[in-house]
Amino acid sequence: MARHSVCKVADVAVGALTEVKVGRSPIVLSRLPSGEIRAVGGRCPHQGAALRFGCVSGTTGSDTPNELTYGCEGEILRCPWHGFEFSLRDGLPTTPDSESLTLRLRMYEVEVDGDEVVVVT
Amino acid sequence: MKVLDADVHESFASIKDLAPYLPEPYRGWIAGGAWRGFSQPFAYTSPGLGNRADVRSNDGSASVSDYGLMRDQLLDAYDLSHAVLTGYFYPTGLKLQYGFATALAAAYNDYVAEHWLAKDPRFIGSVQVNARDPEAAAREIDRMAAHPQVRQVLLPVVDDIAYGHPVYRPIFEAADRNRLMVAFHHTTFAQGPYGMGLHYMERHALLPLAMMPQVISLIANGVFDAYPNLRFMILEGGFSWLPHVMWRLDREYRQGRVEVPWIKKLPSQHCRERLRLSTQPTEDISGDQWMKLIDLMGTDDVLVFSTDYPHFDFDDPNAAIPRVLPESTREKILWKNAAEFYGVSDDPRSERSLEAAE
Ligand code: FES
Repeated sequence: MARHSVCKVADVAVGALTEVKVGRSPIVLSRLPSGEIRAVGGRCPHQGAALRFGCVSGTTGSDTPNELTYGCEGEILRCPWHGFEFSLRDGLPTTPDSESLTLRLRMYEVEVDGDEVVVVT
Repeated sequence: MKVLDADVHESFASIKDLAPYLPEPYRGWIAGGAWRGFSQPFAYTSPGLGNRADVRSNDGSASVSDYGLMRDQLLDAYDLSHAVLTGYFYPTGLKLQYGFATALAAAYNDYVAEHWLAKDPRFIGSVQVNARDPEAAAREIDRMAAHPQVRQVLLPVVDDIAYGHPVYRPIFEAADRNRLMVAFHHTTFAQGPYGMGLHYMERHALLPLAMMPQVISLIANGVFDAYPNLRFMILEGGFSWLPHVMWRLDREYRQGRVEVPWIKKLPSQHCRERLRLSTQPTEDISGDQWMKLIDLMGTDDVLVFSTDYPHFDFDDPNAAIPRVLPESTREKILWKNAAEFYGVSDDPRSERSLEAAE
């Protein structure tokens, strides 16, 4: 287990993505509206797009065709390429898995040390 | 091995046969020759003019109106356990005179009940509707669902309807509340994306391209999710395209779910669980290729045998499904998958739930 001081707490904002490097590996950080900081692997588990170009948003729900609800603002990361959505809460996609395709964001443990964000790898 | 034939085309000898089942003023119209029925916009090039050449109808059309002939050539000849009557007279083809079309659907249903279903307990019936008036179609479904041999609603694939559109919801509501299945069959109006082509061969090859959009439409518009008990049968529309449609829909869903979050399962899962495809006309592929396709579909629950009797592209149950397939898979295709779909048991004679109408 290695601890890496990657940026200042003030550098990580709700609804935004901050990319840092640990060694040569990109990691993107975002703050959930609840205040927690998330650190996830910087490459999309689908085809490897650089997630720093993605967007943090909410997402839709519906039980009735053509009637959308919207929620989870600040908790969804959408890939800049194909638009697959992942929850920053748990790293899971918003769609069910198939046998041939299991997609997860790689989640890193985050600690706050004073005004430093520390990522544990 | 038991055989259930999922696609058999009964007919009348003349549209005037429907007159006794129609209310006025439509009875007078049909009896008087005011409409002679749908005409096909092409010539059949097969030796039997659209039928197998050993099945001749009196009026020369691609149809059979003689129960005795069908019994001898199909039901008895192949010892079928059941045959699903799917018609080929689809009033939804009328793009005007909706009241007339709805009355024709009801008349046809009554005609079939009396002249076909009542004659043989091996028949499974379909409800014909005028889908362009969905509320009227729903009433017709409610009416016909009382018939013990009726097991499904038949939705004809025409050139301008994708059935996932919300306007058709009353039809699925009615099928659902009556515990009927929903089957789709092409018509002489069905088209591919650029029309019918310029040759019959082209038109016939384009039919699967009229079926895929129905699957896409139903899933994208939430019909599979809204009615978890409904299941859907694609008749005579090919089957080797299913892996592509499943994979493509899964990909589109993953990248576009934000727009259609009422879809709750991967489309491929919906297909495997709820979609069935009839095998006729089989493509002439090897047993190995059949097994590869089934492997790609991820299940051998999907395929359902059909003959398409009396039409020229008939599949023989003894020849069309290769004998080199594993016995259990062949049995699923020829019998089990459809028996489960239609909720029929091994022996129609001992079956209380599927007996001839009184
Ligand atoms: S690379 Fe991210 S969704 Fe395809």
